[in-house]
Amino acid sequence: MEEELKDNANPTILQLSDLPSRRRDEPSKKRDAARAMLFEDLVPSYPDPFSSGLPSPTSSEEDAKVYPSDDVEEIDEQEIYDLIAHVSDPEHPLTLGQLAVVNLPDISIQSSAAPSKSRITTARVLLTPTISHCSLATVIGLGVRVRLEQALPPRFRVDVRIKEGTHSTADAVNKQLGDKERVAAALENRNLMGVIGKMLEGCT
Amino acid sequence: MAPPILTIRPLATLTPPSTTRAWSSTPHPTLPLLATASSDKTVRIYSLASYTLHSTVAGGHKRSVRACAWKPGAESGGGESVLATGSFDASAGIWRRAVRRSSGGGGGGGGVGVGEDEVEEEGLDAGDEDDDEWRYSVVLDGHESEIKGIAWSAGGTYLATCSRDKSVWVWEELPGEEDNFETVAVLQEHEGDVKCVVWHPEEELLASASYDDTVRLYREDLDDWTCVGILEGHEATVWCVDFEGSDGAGLGSERDEELSEQQRSWLKDRKEAGPRLVSCSDDMTTRVWRRVPKQGQDFKPGKDKMPNIIRSDNVQENWIEEARLPKRHDRAIYTVQWSKRTGRLVSTGSDGKIVVYEERWKTDHSTSTNGTANAANGGNNVEVDGPNEDSVPKFTEWFVVDELEGAHDVYEVNHVCWSRRWDNKKRSIDEEIIISTGDDGEVKAWSLD
Repeated sequence: MEEELKDNANPTILQLSDLPSRRRDEPSKKRDAARAMLFEDLVPSYPDPFSSGLPSPTSSEEDAKVYPSDDVEEIDEQEIYDLIAHVSDPEHPLTLGQLAVVNLPDISIQSSAAPSKSRITTARVLLTPTISHCSLATVIGLGVRVRLEQALPPRFRVDVRIKEGTHSTADAVNKQLGDKERVAAALENRNLMGVIGKMLEGCT
Repeated sequence: MAPPILTIRPLATLTPPSTTRAWSSTPHPTLPLLATASSDKTVRIYSLASYTLHSTVAGGHKRSVRACAWKPGAESGGGESVLATGSFDASAGIWRRAVRRSSGGGGGGGGVGVGEDEVEEEGLDAGDEDDDEWRYSVVLDGHESEIKGIAWSAGGTYLATCSRDKSVWVWEELPGEEDNFETVAVLQEHEGDVKCVVWHPEEELLASASYDDTVRLYREDLDDWTCVGILEGHEATVWCVDFEGSDGAGLGSERDEELSEQQRSWLKDRKEAGPRLVSCSDDMTTRVWRRVPKQGQDFKPGKDKMPNIIRSDNVQENWIEEARLPKRHDRAIYTVQWSKRTGRLVSTGSDGKIVVYEERWKTDHSTSTNGTANAANGGNNVEVDGPNEDSVPKFTEWFVVDELEGAHDVYEVNHVCWSRRWDNKKRSIDEEIIISTGDDGEVKAWSLD
């Protein structure tokens, strides 16, 4: 019964082994895998979208050249992906990586146009909701933005958006997610933060 | 005469900073005090004479304090400073605190006179511990969600608040009844969060900026507050709006002999139109708006979208986009403020930059590219100004005086404003400084020289 109440009771799920990752240790892997098993037979096999190789890490190399001592480890798209792929969906016991809400090719990092003057780096994440009328798109986007703002150094500006053509009210959701004041106010809202906190439980 | 070359230089970082995001800072109109609204639910009152913490306004709000406003002229009456605060907890607060003066200058009307400066500074430093508390005297409840902006009208008669609940409220302190506030208007014209409210420097005209990409203007008409104008053109959230000073400082007077006849007549027209408005937006533009004077002509109030079509035309105002500032910000612009003394503008935003602009006479009317350079950046919204735009020749253009990257290291800068300089190294009695407020919790003072 509960399943029927969900926006998308039967989402497409990626195999964990198919998700791009640089991480060796996967603390939540076992648990997630067990959960994913429940749905495994329900979904057709999903072609590995990343078999052709990962996006080139050019921006991070540039970053490294300009600020060799700024960070111990430079941050690239894969690392951003690793930070948010384990955020769990608010209504499914699955991660955003498994549901292909976050996808590595939809993450981009852009350094300042004038790096000698500004050290600001923009991380842009495009989300693909599981269905185009998903009412939780804003909450998911907020979870991703909160996760990145907490995990990334302050020189990062985090832009989280709905991928074009994947959601019926993308413009409205994007406007909310891009509004710093609304996001700040949401973080002071205990109920909403309870939901976000749950989503971020699987993140390490 | 070549314009002077000015540089934004660090003057001081106010100590101690907030440990979390600071939202905005408001200088006291006549005393060397600065109120900084912080996400730690307090307001820090800093001394602008010493750049250190003077007192803290705490214990009233349950969430971020987003903005605050000093009541103008409050000290001249009861000798108390009055601060209004707006919070994410949906309430506004009125706070009072005695500000003593060391000599018997209490009845002086809180003027800006030269002789009073020393007195005021001393008075601030010599406070008795017992009376150092800010008293939370009134809570203004009514908004349904976060308050984002708060402002007193020029005479201190009205207080305006705005909120995510899409409304603007106007409050009036009942005369002779201290701490008794009455709601005189609830204005629900906007279709989204209202981000900022500001009053005209002399008229009881209120402007609000919104998430719905517009700026709206309100005034009282036959005992009823009503929307009298709408500024459309921005393509994203308008974060901030501010009025020009009442005498339109910067370019001289219409009686100035050195100006051409055309320039003098332009200044005269502008004086007639009154102070302009400046707005900044998530669309990364900053725009200057001008009121079209009504007399004579076939003045058409309102456009298609104008609400309240039953309204009598005589209160409606027509404002047009007069200019766009050179595009220097590459992320959302959170604040723009008009210097009432010099006529300069300062802006800041998510990119962490502080940019100062100045309006100058165009050197050559036919070849200058004022407006067009910006229109190229702004793309395809030339229709905003309509035919008015072409019929008004541009005599001035806005230049960037200086820009500073990374004003708060890598952090976003939420707010910037002009303040009179109060420290003892000031070069003149009316020297102005810039105050910036950032996500790092820091408040910084900058000189322009």
